Amino acid sequence: MADASENPFDAANAPEILVLGIGSLLFSDDGFGIHVVRRLEAEYTFPDRVHVVDGGVLGVNLLGVISKPRHLIVVDAVRNRGKPGDLHRIDHEEIPARIRAKNSLHQVDFLEALTLCQALDNVPRTVILGVEPLDVETLGLALSPPVAAQVEPVIRLVLAELERLGVRWSRKDSSADVSGDPFAHR
Amino acid sequence: MAERIIVDPITRIEGHLRIEVEVSGGKVVNAWSSGQMFRGIEVILQGRDPRDAHHFVQRSCGVCTYVHSIASVRAVDDAVKVKIPKNARLIRNLLLGAQYQHDHIVHFYHLHALDWVDVVSALKADPAKTAALSDNVSNAPWGGTNYFKNVQQRLKTFVESGQLGPFANAYWGHPAYKLPPEANLLAAAHYIEALRLQAKAARMHAIFGGKNPHPQSLVVGGVTCAADLTADRIAEFLYITKETHEFVKNVYIPDLLAVASFYKDWGGIGRTTNFLAWGDFPASEKEPESLFMPRGVIFKRNLEKPVMADPGKVTEHVARSWYEGAQARHPYQGETKPIQGDPKYDTDSKDGRYSWLKAPRYEGEPCEVGPLSHVLVGYAYGQKEWKQPVDHVLKTLNIPAEALFSTLGRTAARGIETLVIGEAMQGWVMELVENIKKGDTKTYEPYEMPDKAQGVGLNDVPRGALGHWIVIENKKIKNYQYVVPSTWNLAPRCAAGKMSPVEEALIGTPIADPKRPLEILRTVHSYDPCIACAVHVIDPDSNEVYKVRVA
Repeated sequence: MADASENPFDAANAPEILVLGIGSLLFSDDGFGIHVVRRLEAEYTFPDRVHVVDGGVLGVNLLGVISKPRHLIVVDAVRNRGKPGDLHRIDHEEIPARIRAKNSLHQVDFLEALTLCQALDNVPRTVILGVEPLDVETLGLALSPPVAAQVEPVIRLVLAELERLGVRWSRKDSSADVSGDPFAHR
Repeated sequence: MAERIIVDPITRIEGHLRIEVEVSGGKVVNAWSSGQMFRGIEVILQGRDPRDAHHFVQRSCGVCTYVHSIASVRAVDDAVKVKIPKNARLIRNLLLGAQYQHDHIVHFYHLHALDWVDVVSALKADPAKTAALSDNVSNAPWGGTNYFKNVQQRLKTFVESGQLGPFANAYWGHPAYKLPPEANLLAAAHYIEALRLQAKAARMHAIFGGKNPHPQSLVVGGVTCAADLTADRIAEFLYITKETHEFVKNVYIPDLLAVASFYKDWGGIGRTTNFLAWGDFPASEKEPESLFMPRGVIFKRNLEKPVMADPGKVTEHVARSWYEGAQARHPYQGETKPIQGDPKYDTDSKDGRYSWLKAPRYEGEPCEVGPLSHVLVGYAYGQKEWKQPVDHVLKTLNIPAEALFSTLGRTAARGIETLVIGEAMQGWVMELVENIKKGDTKTYEPYEMPDKAQGVGLNDVPRGALGHWIVIENKKIKNYQYVVPSTWNLAPRCAAGKMSPVEEALIGTPIADPKRPLEILRTVHSYDPCIACAVHVIDPDSNEVYKVRVA
């Protein structure tokens, strides 16, 4: 059986930095992380060592994606006893404590996946950027006003994190589709 | 005196399922399965462009993104009467096959194994003896005393750090665990190896799926990944397919047989009666005739007489579910009208409602769907790809075919189909290569969206029979209903009071300790329950640990 190191394609597929949006697009503010990464993909260009991924609510199935990079920037709705729209930045060392706090719908799954990275010998250096949601229960595609207002500021936070890691990014042509409806692609 | 046990929620990672059983004389005598969350995605689809439906439905579950996507695209293919090109059919089959490889490996090792394997007992194992056991039962490429010593050390670190993660919710030390410490250590080592492998297998979807992890390459009329049909991409796909298949053949199947040999009594536990498979993996335009995984129904465990399955014979009952009325309907006429006000959970009265899941029936009968149904239908038709590995498992474990209709059979069937499909996938890749070599690079067939139409997408996905039904009017979605595998398996009773498969399967299950109902988890988990799509999330705080209540 082939050893992992023998797959000639593995190295080519592993980014150094991963920006990962997580959440469910169908439940209002729960989709915050997805809205942010879709805007990042539509409006910005990054070097090859940076991947931007829409992780949905895949939880433990994200392990393949998150066990490869050295740095992981997660964007998510985070419940942290704040006011709707409050921004949160949770840095690497603070994350284990938050597992028990269980602040979002999908975080348990996602953080479980992060824990499982230990078994794969590569826990990426992680920072979670989040916004306090107003509504994660109503079936709907739109973000609530206080949360929608934080999409742009969180994009800037992500770019700042990338700059700290020495990444140079650029804006795409301003004619790119920046529509807020994640399904308005036709 | 009977006592009641409630386990809520019961899924290890996904979903929101509540199981209530009544125990008397150390055995389950009655059972109720309840989906605790409302699903409303059908409502969001009404009035939308039918071509967009698959973008929405693939978001209804964290695990089954591709399967809902393809089911939806097939329903619209059927409605607009388009015949997809050969390359598109092969790529769709390869993506579905990849889903099987990935999901079943994850289920066996990461969602189900810990019901049979005691990780804490593995800390007591002798690494040298484990190495000898490994050489004896497994063809795994890893082994040796040092390897197992190393694994044991890592497990210890995991346990001592207090971050048990998915190891947190199990009943370590329960008397129903039967493996010796060395077998537990072997399985735990492969749990970690399988994590590594599944991470790689997930890449198969990225290759032809366009976007990882939510595949974007499906469209009504075919696929859009024409640009990915290069020698490099196909070679990468084939490489991972082979590596995954080697793992299944040399590690998964031997582990399955080794663990099963300690639990043969489970061939008599978790039994059900009727089995339905829509079948999947078409080898030509002719469906169901060309399906590699055949379509059929087995009634009353009669393997002599499988019959062809007809989607016209499906109804969904709501008499015991939290929806208005009690009329059973075919999915084309289906309604999703939740009752107003707080639903009352009522398993006490004869006609009480107790679930957000509807109850699908085939000719009025509850049917199990999933790996066991796939394998039984293929076996009953006598198709050699399916019959041979089943006979091999029966012979190795020295059990009769009658033992298949059980929790043991269900878990074995999942491994068997992973092997069978993985083998076939390599042939499909070569077919794709040959076809492209011949100069056929077509991946899409144009079509006209009719003003008015209806269509069904019948699929058989890792969890079982999945149907999407769409009704189109004025080129928009008028009605959309899906009947998902977990609804077939985990539904409540129907209007006729018949139990769903999981309710039936739980009857007779021995319970050693009502406060730690490991035996219930074994059977429920053998269905790979994931009802994120069948129902929907309300309470983020209930997803942490099993709440077991002995009433």
